[in-house]
Amino acid sequence: MPGMNSGLNSNNATLVAAFRSALLHQGLWVLLIFAMLAVAWVAVREWLRPPRPRPAAPEPAWRQLLRIGFGVIWIFDGLLQAQPDMPGGMPSQVIEPTASSSPGWVQDIVNWAGTSWSYHPVQAAAATVWIQIGIGAWLIAAPRGPWSRLAGLASVAWGLVVWVFGEAFGGIFAPGLTWLFGAPGAVVFYCAAGLLIALPERHWQARLGRTVLGVLGVFFIGMAVLQAWPGRGFWQGTLHGKPGTLTGMVSDMASTPQPALLAGWARDFGSFTAAHGFVVNLFTVIALAVLGAGLINAGRGPAWLIRATVAATVVLCLADWVLIEDFGFFGGVGTDLNSMVPLALLVVAGYLALRPGPAPVPQPAAAQPAAAQPATAGVAAAEPVTAEPAAQAPPPGRPAWRPSRVLRTFGAAGSRAVLATWAVVIILLGAAPMALAQVNRDASPIIAQAIDGDSAPLNFTAPAFTLTDQNGATVSLASLRGKVVLLTFLDPVCTSDCPVIGTEFKEADQVLGARAGGVEMVAIVANPLYRSTVYTRAFDREDQLASLPNWRYLTGSLPQLEQAWKNYDVSSQILPAGGMVLHQDVAYVIDANGKTRTELSFDPGPSTSSTESSFAVELASAAEHVMKTS
Amino acid sequence: MRTRVTKARVPKARLAVLAATAATVALAAGCGSGAPAATATTSAARPARPPLAASFAGRAGAGWTIVQMGGSATQEDNFWQMFYRQASTWRLATPAGVADNGGLVVTGTPAGPLLTGFLPSQDLTFSPLATSTNSGATWSAASPVDPGLADVPDALAAGPGGRLIALTSGGAELSQRLGASWTHLITAKALAATPAARACQVTGLTGAAFSPAGVPMLAATCARPGVAGLFAETNGTWHATGPRLPAAFSKENIDVLRLAATGSGMVALLRAGTGTLLAGWMASNGAAWTLSPPLRTGGRRVTSTAVGPGWSMGIILNAADGLTLSGPAGSWRRLPALPRWSATLALGSSGQVDALAAHGATFTDWRLGAAGWTSGQTIHITIPYGSSS
Repeated sequence: MPGMNSGLNSNNATLVAAFRSALLHQGLWVLLIFAMLAVAWVAVREWLRPPRPRPAAPEPAWRQLLRIGFGVIWIFDGLLQAQPDMPGGMPSQVIEPTASSSPGWVQDIVNWAGTSWSYHPVQAAAATVWIQIGIGAWLIAAPRGPWSRLAGLASVAWGLVVWVFGEAFGGIFAPGLTWLFGAPGAVVFYCAAGLLIALPERHWQARLGRTVLGVLGVFFIGMAVLQAWPGRGFWQGTLHGKPGTLTGMVSDMASTPQPALLAGWARDFGSFTAAHGFVVNLFTVIALAVLGAGLINAGRGPAWLIRATVAATVVLCLADWVLIEDFGFFGGVGTDLNSMVPLALLVVAGYLALRPGPAPVPQPAAAQPAAAQPATAGVAAAEPVTAEPAAQAPPPGRPAWRPSRVLRTFGAAGSRAVLATWAVVIILLGAAPMALAQVNRDASPIIAQAIDGDSAPLNFTAPAFTLTDQNGATVSLASLRGKVVLLTFLDPVCTSDCPVIGTEFKEADQVLGARAGGVEMVAIVANPLYRSTVYTRAFDREDQLASLPNWRYLTGSLPQLEQAWKNYDVSSQILPAGGMVLHQDVAYVIDANGKTRTELSFDPGPSTSSTESSFAVELASAAEHVMKTS
Repeated sequence: MRTRVTKARVPKARLAVLAATAATVALAAGCGSGAPAATATTSAARPARPPLAASFAGRAGAGWTIVQMGGSATQEDNFWQMFYRQASTWRLATPAGVADNGGLVVTGTPAGPLLTGFLPSQDLTFSPLATSTNSGATWSAASPVDPGLADVPDALAAGPGGRLIALTSGGAELSQRLGASWTHLITAKALAATPAARACQVTGLTGAAFSPAGVPMLAATCARPGVAGLFAETNGTWHATGPRLPAAFSKENIDVLRLAATGSGMVALLRAGTGTLLAGWMASNGAAWTLSPPLRTGGRRVTSTAVGPGWSMGIILNAADGLTLSGPAGSWRRLPALPRWSATLALGSSGQVDALAAHGATFTDWRLGAAGWTSGQTIHITIPYGSSS
């Protein structure tokens, strides 16, 4: 998938350090905002002494289970996203493999997200951490009311983002789809739970439980049919001497870095599947079909049968989670618990919803306006407050958001509402840097730094040279005085790095925009054999540099070039037997007074679109810095 | 009443949902099982392009070979090498200064210098050229071909007076003096539009040569079956010069795998469909082509070609089976099982046949004698692994 992979090692020290630093900084902001909110809340309560909130009506057990269960799961997923390998590893080790067997149009969609991530890996990884922790905290903190329902919708919205871009639609368009490995994607269950949490209270009836279990039953039967479908390799433990589909999947999971005990379980199950593939699949198909039928009829059968069906479903899910999904989150880039835990939660919630829920607490008429306020009104609704005196209601025609009223509403809110507000702030705090980064079409310079390290500050007079440019004109360094010079050394017949560096110089020119008028981009030939102007011109055509007015590709006699290489500490070595000429990939920034100010290591690394953009930004930033400071 | 209504409706709804689910699942399962790619048939319809592994030997047995050595091509660790043979001794003669992972092509005339072109690879889109006046002992840069050379063994052709033809992705370029500058000769599209090429329905160019008289010649693939796409240019006009093929090939697409000038005339290796090879010879006086007996390859791939003195030819099929043809009067001769890693054959004067084995960094010349293959010269070279990645 072009563009998705930054090509960096996921454990690149620079990237990991930047990620930790970003998390630390944002974490401190999260704590600071929490402290400020807490202090403000306590102060307002003490100062204005608003009426205490009424005790909230009890929440149905099924909803409580979903809200807290999925809240905890989102927080756990958020913490998994904080693993050091995530910034560099998410596109290449999670998104790309997940989408690799999907059709082209799915890969195109997923590639967009992967490319966005690889352009701003630190911001994207940190944003994911905070958004998921924030959603989890929000779900847990807000038990009832619009604020709580909004948390459910937030869970659905982010779940869909993850499902489409992170899970490539849960792999539903790829071959090998199976319930055993999490079809149709764990996050689909997060979305389902979010929808249930977002339901208005009028839908909290026993019929809801029957509907939930019925839909799950249909899902189970569908998965049984899929599992039983011939020709997909699930009926064979081994196929032509190779592992069958399920055996192969389990073996892959067993090889993931994890505690030896767990790997042993997975390996043992893999061996069992290899030997008894038909029996395992037969059991799976029957179990899914029987449980599916049981769940569809859950509203009508005897209570013991419903309980037994639900218990068996949970046991099957947990067995699958341990033996086949292998807990789902090991290996350094595990992003979630996989599908079985969320699915089991949904089944149990559906069962609990079969019972009639608690009766809603009647709302005093005077309390309604307070609950309808925008912004903080939602906070108030999370824990309904006692009605304020009618005299304090805003008279007609007066704005409802008077500061004193807002403060009073804030003070009247319960502690859970304050926590929910804080959770929303966490989400916004995480998403804001990523949103800002996305506005910029250029990649973060952290990628270039991760490949080649930081630039080295210098301060000496740049060695002079007088050479010939691609058009045959004589160019000396002195003739470029008054402008910042970005200088590099390129082999015109190089097959890999040099054309990439040329592209990065061209992109740097675009990044500089109007300021490029103050910059000369200069390359000196680094090949002792292929150094005539017909080669520099061919290189310019190849790299589309010919149209760049401030681009100069200089060459000269071999002694002239050798002197320039020596002065700038560049060596050019001819390799035997079809090898490319070996030379350093380096760029110098020379200020308008002819002083060498910065040296940049310029090995372009894996040469992806994100690394090229990142090097261009680094180069343009170095030129701008020298322009400002010279 | 309400209960009854519910009981009556729910099963129908459930059945509908179940049916929809089953249909969806069936569809998903169908998607999952996958179907063979349609493009496979299309690509199989026309065999692969001529192999770059090749050799050429002149009258005295002096000549060159191009073989691929090193490691994996996908990791850019394959490096093409040129070896030059003089007085029965091979030496490495690969021009330095350019990564040659994309391939090399060589041309030369008995009296003139050698010229080597580097095929594009990775981000290099044009073809640097190197020329040598001392049989590849030293090289100097010549003007590049831009866009890059086509990946066929006869993409470069040298003629009398230092004239050159270069086949590129766009067509054929002509240089009057060792690649000092290039002018446009013709494109495949323009050639197809000429009256001479209408019967062929040219779809692409696969080789270039100068006849012994210095006439530019081009080999082309024809969309029309049964036609060998060979064309010559005289006084700015292109003429069809291909051999008339037997009626047995009238329904086969003909590809020209090699087109080369020897001291005695022209030699061409033709492939009919995927299963038959034919060699053709044309004397330097421009008389009609003489065709060899057909060789049924049984669908095996030609992995290297060799042109030798006296119009002799050699091929390797599927990197395993060697065959030679001594000339217009001869017939195909199957060689004993080739030594392992044989990359190409090299033909010498007086019927001498060598198998050139290339593996990793080792090049071995195996000579065919009465007792079979015997190992002769072995050359170990330093492969610049990792330098192109």
